[in-house]
Amino acid sequence: MRRATSCDAAAAAAFFLITPGGVNFRHNRNRRYANRRRRKKMYLNWVKLWNLKTQVTNVRPLHVNGYQQQQQEALAVELESSHETLPIFRTQESDPARHLEKHIGQYYTLPPEHIRTLFPHGLPRRFQTQVKTFNEGCVMVRQPALEVISSLKKVDYSKPAPRFVLYGVKGSGKTMALCHTAHFCSTQGWLVLHIPDAHKWVKNCKELLQSSYNASRFDQPLQASTWLRNFRTTNEHFLSKIKTSQRYIWTKRESTEEGKPLRELVDQGISRVKSSSDVVGAVMKELRLRSGHPEAGFRLAVVVDGVNALWGRSTIKKEDRSFVNPEELTLVYNLRKMMRNDWCGGAIVTTLAQTGSLYSPKTAYLPQELLGKEGFDNMDPFIPVSVSNYSEKEFESCYLYYQDRHWLQHPQSKTEDGKKELIFLSERNPSILERLCASL
Amino acid sequence: MAARSGKALVSLGRLNGCGLGLHTSLSRATYATALTTTTTGNKVFPERGNRGGFARKPRRPPGDPRTEKMAVDQDWSAVYPAAAAFRPGSVPLPVRMGYPVNRGVPPEKRGNLELIKIPNFLHLTPAAIKKHCKALKPFCTEWPTALDSNAKCDEFFPIKVKTTDYVSASNSIRNPAARIVNLQVKLSSLNLDDHAQKKILKLVGDRYCKDTDTLTLTTDSCPLRKQNYDYAMYLLTVVYHESWKTEAWEADITRADMDEYIWEDSPSQKNILDTLVRMKAAAEGEEEAMEEEVLGRPEVQEYKDSVSRLKNEGENESSLLQYREAVKKVLQL
Repeated sequence: MRRATSCDAAAAAAFFLITPGGVNFRHNRNRRYANRRRRKKMYLNWVKLWNLKTQVTNVRPLHVNGYQQQQQEALAVELESSHETLPIFRTQESDPARHLEKHIGQYYTLPPEHIRTLFPHGLPRRFQTQVKTFNEGCVMVRQPALEVISSLKKVDYSKPAPRFVLYGVKGSGKTMALCHTAHFCSTQGWLVLHIPDAHKWVKNCKELLQSSYNASRFDQPLQASTWLRNFRTTNEHFLSKIKTSQRYIWTKRESTEEGKPLRELVDQGISRVKSSSDVVGAVMKELRLRSGHPEAGFRLAVVVDGVNALWGRSTIKKEDRSFVNPEELTLVYNLRKMMRNDWCGGAIVTTLAQTGSLYSPKTAYLPQELLGKEGFDNMDPFIPVSVSNYSEKEFESCYLYYQDRHWLQHPQSKTEDGKKELIFLSERNPSILERLCASL
Repeated sequence: MAARSGKALVSLGRLNGCGLGLHTSLSRATYATALTTTTTGNKVFPERGNRGGFARKPRRPPGDPRTEKMAVDQDWSAVYPAAAAFRPGSVPLPVRMGYPVNRGVPPEKRGNLELIKIPNFLHLTPAAIKKHCKALKPFCTEWPTALDSNAKCDEFFPIKVKTTDYVSASNSIRNPAARIVNLQVKLSSLNLDDHAQKKILKLVGDRYCKDTDTLTLTTDSCPLRKQNYDYAMYLLTVVYHESWKTEAWEADITRADMDEYIWEDSPSQKNILDTLVRMKAAAEGEEEAMEEEVLGRPEVQEYKDSVSRLKNEGENESSLLQYREAVKKVLQL
């Protein structure tokens, strides 16, 4: 951006006076273009919904949009009488525990209350918009998730927690597989500790406080409190059952006694934002201790997306403009402790993500490339699970699903040639396919 | 021309100035122009305007050039036995050289300065070179009969030294590039143990080519070829002997600098030991498992192989698959 380098002070002042709207004309122009694009997108979306005439199979209105609700209620009556058989790409089985090999490639519906409680922050952004648009959250059953789920079913929980690392090229469905696994864990009654994106903890930190517990570490109050809020939403029913094992002193006047329910700890962290990072650490420690006991009554699933952020680099700067080491952040330090398999009674399922990662090449997707030496040595031994692009069957399924949802409006997209073109352009990569179809 | 002008001056000294006569005699001696001079015949009488003129000997007309009389199968090395300038009268070829002026043709060879200026190799025809070889043959020794294949030559003479000689036509026969000496040797022909092999590669760096297993030393820092050759041999000797020595500080090498990943004492080994100890403690109570016993188990050996392969070879589908199977077996999943 061209800066006003050698402007006369008076001339600059005059320039500011003349143009009250903005200093840089280019900024205004770009904003105008962005607004136009946004409006066009909204219009096209509206057109698609308007064309949503028939075959809306799942009529559970999530929107409060009155117009849509009326439309769907009108359709629901005629639908339920006509539609008996389920299309080939769907499955009735909405319990992940009962998903088998034969369900691979089929979509199962996430119950909306589960989406609200279990995934307040966990689903990928584009999937969240898709859920809103289609009025249903449908997840495809795929091999990697099934592999992890079947391993989790067979694990002996008195042994140290096994670690799974999902890896694959960009957009191949790692986060979705992770969410599928998390859904399974929660339906089985586990306590799910879901960190939606570990990369968010090592970049774009607006507030960095020096930790009161350990002077060499840094707290991130905003991130910690948002996470605690979401954690509370996900695991409401567990928080009253688990009791703390020691006394935590937050300030001279505030402390949490031994034997209090975990809910108090979490509430403390949410209300007193300053100590929220330490609360996160305390919560993790308590859960680690408790899940090991045979009489604990619950199992702990630690689900982390983008685990390579913990051993990568950060872009948070200290006051002297030097970069913060990730282990100097309280949140990252505590999460690293969680990643060690020195506790039992649960499992650790993680994903590697290049998408939000810092200082890693775009083509990197293998475990050692993204985790680095330190990360690999810390995660070792883990079970690497490869997530690949759609197979032919899965691609068919996805294509039929989009057609069923009337998402593909372009006339060419309904032909065989159009399908071949989609295969060629997207190479059966799920996210690229989704982006392509969004503009059709 | 200098000799003739000298003669003319002598004549001048004797006869006291026949200026015009001097001029005409000189003009007879200059190079031919486009028009040939026409004074071939009857020189019996001196020319008009020549005042003193009887003292000079009448010039013989120049005869036919030698090219007319040359046989087709003559001995060419007799015509040009050594390097010499181009003589139009001695070279029986209708050569033309030069810029065609006024859209004409390139000028002919007679009196063509361009042909005389350029270097020629008329003295180095294949027949002449054969004669040279034949003359040199009594001074050569025979090729040893035992060395009848390339492989045998490489076996007995593994060091190959290359030097280049330069030939050019200029006022100096020296070429500074002739001092460069290139020495090539295959490391497999040197007696090196494991440590020496790794060390020599580190010492030598870029000069080693992995595909052909050749070490190439190029020396050009000395002014003479002999000096460069001696220096190259010295370098080879030094590098070889140094690679066999083990210094005290070589033991201080850290894990990060090592060429290969060694599983013993690595974080991976510690992790797996911890995990297995805890698994055993969980399963059977408080039995203490010996480290060697744990490490000696076949699953742990498999795990060790897979981790070493992953770290040394890099990641690909097969190595990751192997690692996964090994971890599953070790953790009994």
